[in-house]
Amino acid sequence: MAVYKRTYKAYSGPLTPGWSRFTVLTRYGLARLFDSRLFTSYTVFCFLPFLLGLVFIYFVHSTAAQMILGLKFGREPIIDNRWFFEFLRVESWLGVILTAWAAPGMISKDFANQSIQLYLSRPLSRAEYLLGKISVLATLLSFTTWIPALILFVVQAEMQGHGWGWENLWIAGAIILASFLWIGLMSLLSMGLTVWVKWRIAATALFFGVLFFMAAFGFAVNVILRTRWGWLLNVPQMVFLVWCNLFRVPLAWIQLHRDAVPLWSAWASLLAVCAFSLWLLNRRLKAREVERA
Amino acid sequence: MEPVIELENLQVRLGPRIILDRLNGALSGRCIGLLGPNGSGKSTLINTLLGFYRPLAGRAKIFGKEVQENLRDLRAQIGYMPESDAFIADMSGVRFVRYMAELSGLPKDEAMERAHEAFFYVGLGEARYRKLGTYSLGMKQLAKLAQALAHGPRLLLLDEPTNGLDPEARQRMLQLVRDIRDTGEVRVLISSHLLHDIEECCDEVIILKDGKIAALCNLEEERKANLKFLELEVSNENGFLESVRGLGCECASFGAGRLKVVLPDDIEVRQLYRLAGEHSVQIRRMNYRRDSLEDIFLKAMMNGAGPGKADAKVLSHGGL
Repeated sequence: MAVYKRTYKAYSGPLTPGWSRFTVLTRYGLARLFDSRLFTSYTVFCFLPFLLGLVFIYFVHSTAAQMILGLKFGREPIIDNRWFFEFLRVESWLGVILTAWAAPGMISKDFANQSIQLYLSRPLSRAEYLLGKISVLATLLSFTTWIPALILFVVQAEMQGHGWGWENLWIAGAIILASFLWIGLMSLLSMGLTVWVKWRIAATALFFGVLFFMAAFGFAVNVILRTRWGWLLNVPQMVFLVWCNLFRVPLAWIQLHRDAVPLWSAWASLLAVCAFSLWLLNRRLKAREVERA
Repeated sequence: MEPVIELENLQVRLGPRIILDRLNGALSGRCIGLLGPNGSGKSTLINTLLGFYRPLAGRAKIFGKEVQENLRDLRAQIGYMPESDAFIADMSGVRFVRYMAELSGLPKDEAMERAHEAFFYVGLGEARYRKLGTYSLGMKQLAKLAQALAHGPRLLLLDEPTNGLDPEARQRMLQLVRDIRDTGEVRVLISSHLLHDIEECCDEVIILKDGKIAALCNLEEERKANLKFLELEVSNENGFLESVRGLGCECASFGAGRLKVVLPDDIEVRQLYRLAGEHSVQIRRMNYRRDSLEDIFLKAMMNGAGPGKADAKVLSHGGL
């Protein structure tokens, strides 16, 4: 199809591997998000806890710096599982805003532009389409959760020395598992809600609604029915309950010790949220909608 | 010519309704027209060929491969231009087409090159850096065609490509379709309810009615058959009609000297002149009657495809 000839010619060049097609969606998705300066600024802001964490680790291990600032840290190790747990908690809340900002626009725009049929008329399955979109969120959330947390872990291990890294290697495992759970949950929930309402603003509101209003509703259930099962409706709290177990942090740390639900029920509620989101995605994410009489 | 699309007892149900009912037929034209009134199942057939709908029974094949079993492979060979507006409004035209080409498997650089070429090919070269949301309706249609072409498909599915276009833009679109068809590198399936569009581009037509094939005909053969079908206007009949019948022609009179004649293969037109001379009859007008697509369509709509007549009914010249 040479320009000067203005005639059609079939393509006979090389093709990319089939498995890598979803990465095209991820690449274009990220590029579109970072077209917005506001979004870019916020993403940079999400690295602030990481930078503060780095500085803190440096001060903890540098007596010179402590002397200059007049700080004195005790003998108790203050960078431990609880410190990493708190770091991830802060980053996860920043990640909630990042998800609410990025996720609804990615799919709702495709619905609004009726372009789903264009994607799915190519050698790309619905699962790959979803994987491509979720990878955008996974990339963003990875850079604000487990990647900085692991960097901090390595820096701490290096500065502490004396085999600290090996002794506390399980913390690195907890960081990865906890982050993956959070990323998977946030991605599926936000995508599922977006395909359900198909309108960006409504999807964002619904996402916050599920996270916060459901929590309030769960609290009301607890008070009115004098039960503790209302906690199951509090998605963030259930995640932190699971995290407490992964980081070996006592529940008292997050004020859940008095009326905490069993760990298995927290896992079950989170898996139910993921399953429900997948069901919504399977039901709504289609090239063509079939109107039922 | 090898069949492009084969339908074998294809039945598609959407919700409680059977939309395509036991379709059978093989389509092998370079440019195939898919005709039918609204709700006849045209778009459903295209969506089934794209694998969006799973057949309830039977199967559809493209290039000899069963659609549902070879979705990935076939979709790589198909370019699809949907009927509705389908694009990403805040993306520039060329970036959008590049994006779509990359999703079809072209590497980044090749996709970019092909996107530019596709835009020049459809005549939107100057507007390729503008955002798609700012395009006029005609430009959007051309951009949709460009994205369908960029990855170099073997089969192009065009769903109502001239919808909403002004006459000039419509002609340009049809000319492009003819150009693409004439390269011989791509087979084209056009769904439309505009008979004229189909007649201008297609060499084969499938007509759907109520989810069934009402007619499946090769327009080229139909046109050849029409060469033996004459409409005459004569000064008086004076036994001319009987003499023509005596030659072995099918013949009918419509009064006032108007005759319709079907010539057998071994009869030449000059024999009619000779008979006219013998009977002192003036032939005032002689036309090769061309059975237009409209006639074929109307015949198909009238005959329909009632229950039990779902098989393709190949239209040939049906006499007078």
